[in-house]
Amino acid sequence: MTEPASAIAIATNMERKPTDWSASSKMRQRLASRNRTEKMFQFTGLAAVVLAVFFLAFLLWSMLADGVHGLSWQFLTGTDSSDPETVGIWGALKGSLLTMAVTLGLSFPIGVLTALYLEEFAPRNMWTDIVEVSINNLAAVPSIIFGLLGLAVFLNFMHLPRSAPVVGGLTLALMTMPVIVIAGRNAIKSVPPSIRDAARGIGASPVQVVFHHVLPLALPGIMTGTIIGMARALGETAPLLMIGMRAFIPTPPSSFTEPATVLPVQIFLWSDEISQGFVEKTSAAIIVLLAVLMTMNSIAIILRNRFEQKW
Amino acid sequence: MVALDMTTDTVPGDAAVAQHKMTTRNVNVYYGAKQAIKDVSIDIDMDNVTAFIGPSGCGKSTFLRTLNRMNDTVASARVTGEITLDGEDIYASSMDVVQLRARVGMVFQKPNPFPKSIYDNIAYGPRIHGLATSKADLDVIVESSLRRAGLWDEVKDRLRDSGTALSGGQQQRLCIGRAIAVEPEVILMDEPCSALDPIATAKIEELIHALRGRYAIVIVTHNMQQAARVSQRTAFFHLGDLVEYGVTTDIFTNPREERTKDYITGRYG
Amino acid sequence: MFLIAILAAVVASFLGRRKAQAIGRASGGGGDPRSRMPALPGHYGAFLALCTGGPAFVMACIWPTISDTFVMRAVLASPVAKTLPAAEIDREAIIGEARGLADGTIEAAFNPASYELVKPITAAIQHFNLIGFILTLVLVLAGFAAGYLCIRRDFRARDRVETIVMVCLMAASLVALVTTFGIVASLLFETSLFFRQVPVTEFLFGTHWSPTTDIVPGQTNGFGAVPLFWGTVFIGAIIAMIIAIPIGVLTAIYLTQYARPTVRKWLKPTLEVLAGIPTVVYGYFAALTLGPAVREFALMLGMENPTSESALSAGLVMGVMIIPLISSMSDDSIAAVPASMRDGALALGATKSETVRKVLVPAALPGIVGGILLAVSRAIGETMIVVMAAGMAANLSANPFASVTTVTTQIVQLLTGDQEFDSAKTLSAFALGLVLFIVTLILNVIALSIVKRYREAYE
Repeated sequence: MTEPASAIAIATNMERKPTDWSASSKMRQRLASRNRTEKMFQFTGLAAVVLAVFFLAFLLWSMLADGVHGLSWQFLTGTDSSDPETVGIWGALKGSLLTMAVTLGLSFPIGVLTALYLEEFAPRNMWTDIVEVSINNLAAVPSIIFGLLGLAVFLNFMHLPRSAPVVGGLTLALMTMPVIVIAGRNAIKSVPPSIRDAARGIGASPVQVVFHHVLPLALPGIMTGTIIGMARALGETAPLLMIGMRAFIPTPPSSFTEPATVLPVQIFLWSDEISQGFVEKTSAAIIVLLAVLMTMNSIAIILRNRFEQKW
Repeated sequence: MVALDMTTDTVPGDAAVAQHKMTTRNVNVYYGAKQAIKDVSIDIDMDNVTAFIGPSGCGKSTFLRTLNRMNDTVASARVTGEITLDGEDIYASSMDVVQLRARVGMVFQKPNPFPKSIYDNIAYGPRIHGLATSKADLDVIVESSLRRAGLWDEVKDRLRDSGTALSGGQQQRLCIGRAIAVEPEVILMDEPCSALDPIATAKIEELIHALRGRYAIVIVTHNMQQAARVSQRTAFFHLGDLVEYGVTTDIFTNPREERTKDYITGRYG
Repeated sequence: MFLIAILAAVVASFLGRRKAQAIGRASGGGGDPRSRMPALPGHYGAFLALCTGGPAFVMACIWPTISDTFVMRAVLASPVAKTLPAAEIDREAIIGEARGLADGTIEAAFNPASYELVKPITAAIQHFNLIGFILTLVLVLAGFAAGYLCIRRDFRARDRVETIVMVCLMAASLVALVTTFGIVASLLFETSLFFRQVPVTEFLFGTHWSPTTDIVPGQTNGFGAVPLFWGTVFIGAIIAMIIAIPIGVLTAIYLTQYARPTVRKWLKPTLEVLAGIPTVVYGYFAALTLGPAVREFALMLGMENPTSESALSAGLVMGVMIIPLISSMSDDSIAAVPASMRDGALALGATKSETVRKVLVPAALPGIVGGILLAVSRAIGETMIVVMAAGMAANLSANPFASVTTVTTQIVQLLTGDQEFDSAKTLSAFALGLVLFIVTLILNVIALSIVKRYREAYE
């Protein structure tokens, strides 16, 4: 903010005395105070980082401390029950698996095809713009809204079975699809145009160019985005509460249409239990969930680093 | 391999057209409202290498890309006039663009091998066009294409290595081999040496000499010495106009147009 | 039926390929491009497979829903159905049970009348299954015949197959559009039902929230959502942001300007872990660990009857959840400031912190603000943390230690448990959802346009 002022000073007062940087005590004091500010600022920044990391560590530690004794073979293979001593998460885990299967099966192909269409084929017109805007907005719509959609459309309008993995999967697929589209478009964009020219130049048709060359090269990026999207879907609770996946499930679901619950919802249900024994079990379930999610995210990061290509 | 006797296929009575592999008549190219090529008429012959020269932005690359309809992918591009290949209008609706591009191959400014093995780079074209009925067929095509591209001896022991691991000059020869593999009749080269060092450039030029007569070759270059070395015909473009077209030695020693003379003597460029 | 469609498609692809090869051989084949067929044998195979299996597959997808109505009609027309009660709800319950008995999913029925219905239902199902089967076969054969006749010397099978592929791509891209439309339509529809019972003004400006199923027209009924809006803003846009903005922005500054590359390489993914933790875990943490701690703290401050379900504990945890979002958005915007600007300041002799505060942050401000708006939109749409930690009491209070409730909490509250779908109570959840949707949409649009304009300014 002082630059204009000093510029004027130089212009009007040509015979200004040269500043003696080393000897003037005033300048030295000023420098010292500026350096103190510098240190302070750097320290504040560091403190912010430490605070954030500390909170993460504290959260993980408190879950581990509470829950690590709850982990046992019986816990991993058992199902929900009213007695905290005998509960297990296999039922919820299986519900999660079934739900995720539906989610992946729908959102991956639709997401990838949409990304390909928008990046490679779509004409620039209003219609395409509308599709694009709606995808960008869907990616930012709160998850609970998808739950309302699932409740109103899938349950009340289409009369699909309540609490079923197929409905949960459908709802989460709609939520995950925009994530995959956005990641997919970025991956497709990073495939250099020269590859497309090369394939076109020897007579590949537009569809061949895309499916023989662009898609394989973009696939690692798409996979990374898909894993991240799936991890988000796996940790999602609110939309599934809306469609009734909060039932007490004493036997693991064996099909896509049977009532089921998923791991995060199970955590939510247990956290409401009064019995003290459930605290340990809830934390143990959280440990399992976090372990799965972190594995997925690590795979995504490894995939990204491994296939990151500079063209 | 199948013998390349495309020109003899044409009906003798059709001689006026048959003499030229490709002809263009009154071709205009527009990008949106801007006209990039103005009323260009040129004939391209089988046994000649034709060079397009001119200062950058003169439209020579644009014109080259209309010859195999690579401009189709640019939404705003519009082409008028007539371009024929063996007397067939390539912008006719009955023309299959994909087959056209198989018959009129292209080599690009920057070497752009697919990030696949050397073998797959060459084999891709024959595969999508169904030129080989067996693996053995394909092996033959790959070997002969690489031999003709002058690359076989350098890569025969590492056909499974990635094409992108080759040096720049080798990559460009791989791209030429890839174009040859689909048995084109015309090969378009868009400044094929501009990204290469002098030694690699010399090799590509040798290759162009070797390929002459088998394919009608059109090369765009901003390097006038190169045009003089490799071509028999030269077309000089300036600001979208075809200023002069003729035998290369005439253009370089005795240009008819003032603008050609100025360009060749280095007055501008 | 799916099986038939798929099997037929496989067989057809084989036959199509054979025919194409035969034609290719007959016409001499070989290398001359002009005498070649316009597509590979595989394309002809794929074309024929699509012709054969496609319609049958679509048929297999929609037949169950169609046959359902037919089965219902047939059953109601059967003599046994005459004895059913007239009330639709009772009738449907009995038919539902009978159906369960028929396909073996339940073993015993509650209502003895349903046993009577098992026979006609089974018969009807079998009848219509047979019809579906025959229809599928007809479609398969017709599709095959039509496709097979198409395959000729000059038939461009590749173009056809590619047209179909393009149609699939376009259809896929429409899913997003349909979803958006579905959200808007369902929210608007249910909300309009709600406003038929409760006036809009009461909902938007009323300050008393205690939804009941008994509506008294012309009177306020406890559907005033202002306390909810306040709670949402208080937790998501005030408390959470007080935590997240300074920590997030400072973290980004530290990581981009001060941290050594190796430190940065490790710290960035570590912070991203915070973003990857499911919100139910945050909620659990807020309710179990932080809630009681905040209550203790309030006691220490001398407050009376503090609750462990406070706005503060929910807001704190939400703030932490938001840190990575703000941090990465700020990181991006700071990195987008041209290096020349920074170098200019440094070359004048400014210290690093002066450069950051006087040059980088002001230059990156639009990007950072955009990130903050996105973060606010995330925070007010967040559900699990507030459901588990913020409580249910609809208070209009600015006391961070008091319990407040939010829009999302109430949506969950209203729609879980026993539901009568058409009551004002459940419908009000959709009205809340609509408000939430509109507000987050506006925030996102503004944020994205700010960020976009900012990026363009430096490109």
